[in-house]
Amino acid sequence: MATDLLAELAGARRLAVAHDRPDLAERLDRASAQLRRGDVTVAVVGEFKQGKSTLINALLRTDVCPVDPDVVTAVTTVLRYGKEPAVTLRVPAGDGSLEAVAVPFDELHRHVTEAGPAAEGARRPHSVEVRLDRRLLGAGLSFVDTPGVGGLDSAHGNLTLGALTGVAAALFVTDASQELTAPEVEFLRRVLERCPAVFCVVTKTDLYEQWRRIVELDAGHLAAAGLDVPVVAVSSFLRLRAQARDSTELNTESGYPALVELLRRDVLEAARAGTRTAARAELGFVVAQLRERVVAEQAAAGSPAAAATLVQRYEEKQRRARTLNSWQTVLGDGIQDLTADIDHDLRERLRALLRSGEELLNESDPRDTWEEFQAWVAREASAAAVDNLMLLVNRAEQLAAEVAARFDLEHESLELDLPSPEPGLGKVGRLDVDFHRSGMQQFLGAFTAARITYGGFYMLGAVGALFNVFIAAPIGLIAGLTLGRRLVKQERERQIQQRRQQARAELRRYVDDVSFHVGRDSREAVRRTQRLLRDEFTARAAAVERSTAAAASAVRETAALPDEQRRARARRLAAQRAELDRLA
Amino acid sequence: MSLLPQVRALLDRVLAATADPAVRDALTDARRRLDEPLRVALAGKVKAGKSTLLNALVGESLAPTDAGECTRVVTWYADGPAYAVTAHLAGGGTRSLPFDRTGGAVRITLDRPAEQVDHLEVRVPSARLRRHTLIDTPGIASLSTEVSLRTTAFLDADADRPAQTDAVIYLLRHLHAGDVRFLESFHGDDLASGTPVNTVGVLSRADEIGGARLDAMDAAARVAARYAADDRLRRLCPVVVPVAGLLGAAGATLREDEYGTLAAVAAQPMADVVELLLTADRFAGSGPGRREVLGRLGLFGVRLAVRLIRERQVHDSADLAAALTAHSGIDRLREVFAAQFVGRSEVLKARSALAVLDEFLEPGSPPAAEAERIRASAHEFVELRLLHLLRSGRLPGPPDQLAEMDRLLGGAGGAAYLRLGLSAGAAPEQIAAAAREALARWQRLAEHPFSARELRTAARAVTRSCEGLLAATA
Repeated sequence: MATDLLAELAGARRLAVAHDRPDLAERLDRASAQLRRGDVTVAVVGEFKQGKSTLINALLRTDVCPVDPDVVTAVTTVLRYGKEPAVTLRVPAGDGSLEAVAVPFDELHRHVTEAGPAAEGARRPHSVEVRLDRRLLGAGLSFVDTPGVGGLDSAHGNLTLGALTGVAAALFVTDASQELTAPEVEFLRRVLERCPAVFCVVTKTDLYEQWRRIVELDAGHLAAAGLDVPVVAVSSFLRLRAQARDSTELNTESGYPALVELLRRDVLEAARAGTRTAARAELGFVVAQLRERVVAEQAAAGSPAAAATLVQRYEEKQRRARTLNSWQTVLGDGIQDLTADIDHDLRERLRALLRSGEELLNESDPRDTWEEFQAWVAREASAAAVDNLMLLVNRAEQLAAEVAARFDLEHESLELDLPSPEPGLGKVGRLDVDFHRSGMQQFLGAFTAARITYGGFYMLGAVGALFNVFIAAPIGLIAGLTLGRRLVKQERERQIQQRRQQARAELRRYVDDVSFHVGRDSREAVRRTQRLLRDEFTARAAAVERSTAAAASAVRETAALPDEQRRARARRLAAQRAELDRLA
Repeated sequence: MSLLPQVRALLDRVLAATADPAVRDALTDARRRLDEPLRVALAGKVKAGKSTLLNALVGESLAPTDAGECTRVVTWYADGPAYAVTAHLAGGGTRSLPFDRTGGAVRITLDRPAEQVDHLEVRVPSARLRRHTLIDTPGIASLSTEVSLRTTAFLDADADRPAQTDAVIYLLRHLHAGDVRFLESFHGDDLASGTPVNTVGVLSRADEIGGARLDAMDAAARVAARYAADDRLRRLCPVVVPVAGLLGAAGATLREDEYGTLAAVAAQPMADVVELLLTADRFAGSGPGRREVLGRLGLFGVRLAVRLIRERQVHDSADLAAALTAHSGIDRLREVFAAQFVGRSEVLKARSALAVLDEFLEPGSPPAAEAERIRASAHEFVELRLLHLLRSGRLPGPPDQLAEMDRLLGGAGGAAYLRLGLSAGAAPEQIAAAAREALARWQRLAEHPFSARELRTAARAVTRSCEGLLAATA
């Protein structure tokens, strides 16, 4: 199917070039590149020690992801298709960009586990990309193995959530040793908000005879929480054993074939369908643009007498198209609102964080609770950043839809205003109707959240490190022995106050830092969104205008031809029409 | 006068001078607690294996266990003349409940919604419960929020209610070592009034680590060692013991027919055995009685037992029971338990009682001053407080020195040989010599002008402990 579509895109491209429309040809190039790449990413998430790495190993029948009863995965690993196996580390460089470092394949284990070179002081890679020649990867899927999350509501868990914007599906991994816990269900709920397709995979069914009950209980919990998440049970151990013994029976028992089928059908196919729709819509837009000229020319070839009127109308259309720019107003206003709202949202969230942080500090002695407090603050701050990003993504998509709708409306009104064509052109007129609408939809398809995802909140990790409080030396060690207890109490009270003050100042500074980094990143993301939308619609308006101009001049030209040539031209045009009709 | 009589006398005095019935109730309760066994709570996340561990510790299948979430009400297991179940109601008052012991576990049918019951008390005639009462709690992070809240409320020693427990055993499943964040969800400081001096950590369900392979317990020991070396975790519980509760419980209650089932499996050809033990499903479905055995031992337990029988390391059910118990790590937990809790039960109980008194005494009144005096003068309290500081990482000093201090203060157990780091059979002369040597060393530290002030004060307390040891040998 995809190949057919590619052929059609290529056909339309030939016509675009023949009509001297490199702008349209470029659009088609982009569409077919998108279609060809078709990389569909599946993230594997969950608490640590649930068997995430083993799941990926078993899915791909490999042992690339290190598995150990004790050591855990510490670095996000991306597995993609590649003919030659290769490992590339993405190491953060000094200026915040990522530097790609190729390493030998057999050193992968060292780099992605906790005890890796990072422990020896080397820079810890931000992520690792592994290329493998596996059928499932070749089909267009890629997998992301995330580090286990210690407490799903932790800062780390929030960052995992942040990374989910832009993946096509997520596999939430939990093992059959126990039913889902409250934090797990809450995490699933948040994953579901960010990711269109989520599956709950119950692993280690080989170890627990009661796994069917656990699956049942899990499904019950999910239903009770109102989460539409299918549950799949697998045994990675059996899958790998099946491979070693080359046994289909064991493989079926492992539950993996069902999971693979699910990935192929519900993830890969669904994502593919989306890209195909987008490509088809792009094709429709281009064909409509090309057809406008052919149709006009055909009309002129059919009745040269009408040419003058036609030219006039096209010129009128062109003149009015130039004045149409209310979509720009929608975009400009929308961006302004969006910036203000996002900014306000972030500030609100951080203010709330500051408030509850100060409350917490007032209730405890920072000396005893500082570490927990730090972790709490980091967690809340990343939650704020991630939720803020989520809002940005939603709002940007909404704005894109509004701008697109306005653009459609305008250009549609342009069409409607054209005087109805002469009787001989009746058919032409009908065919000519709503090409803009179909053209617009595709843009929305392609405008995914992925395009504006920012990496900014990874900065939080670095910000967190700045955060420390001087812990006063212990006082009155064996209080009762050295000083009067009351005196000690007062002194202790004073020290606690002092520490609280210090901690509050630290907290405010931290929140300021977060506000600065996240705010800057989200403003940058808004600007990118604006640029993207503006460029897209400007290009589109230019294409429409150019089509109109081309139609007008073609009409003039054709009408001026001597009869003989005009008839030959009409035949050629009919052939082109037929080809365009076939493509659309 | 030793610690408990002092506290008891103080409580009596205050009690005699109090008219308020609510206060009298609380004080009477505290007074009674002094003479009761130590209260030890088993706490941890949902499905951490608390009930299973309780069964293993008592050596009897008492607490019901299940694949799904099971314990929903705080349940006390205490020694008593005969089996009996009492429900303590939330609004006050008690009533006895019927129970069912078919299948071993004490299954209790509540005659009212669980939230109306404060806790259940199960009386069991058991020598193992004579010195301490074990308290089973519902899991934290349960999906039924109600259950979670009840545990938190029970363990939480907030201002208006001193802790109901004297000590806590925390159960952790296998977790990320370098991860402070799990401490958050598992919270150390207020919850369960768990301080480093009355908390023992258990790495539970140790047999399931690394896919229930036969080296699971070794892996578990590595994990536990790593936890024990982690500063942040040490603040919560200084000792982490890996325990396979299921093995422990099965070892304590293994039946002849279960041995027979396992022996029959072990007698099959090797290839068949391997195939059978590949997955839990295969084994459970392969013959009569096997599903039950699997439920009791777990896949690791079955694999281990079959190997032991095949390799002729065990010859009958008694052998196997002993081997299972040995592998479970439960004995080590009992040792730690005895050293940390039982040996220190007086001071832990006194601490709980004084906490109750603090609530009701006017600051500055003569009884309050007396309570202060007990706190300040009882060397047990000084030791406890120092251990707390030490383990919270608030004492300066080289690690060896701190480790020795911990030991001398009774951190590994109160017995003289444990404090001095000698073997269990050490002769009195040997103990005296070691104590004299330690005394001299710490005296020097206490008097050394270059020692930090905190260290000097601490060293003085350590010399007192040494003197106590010497006095005991004399």
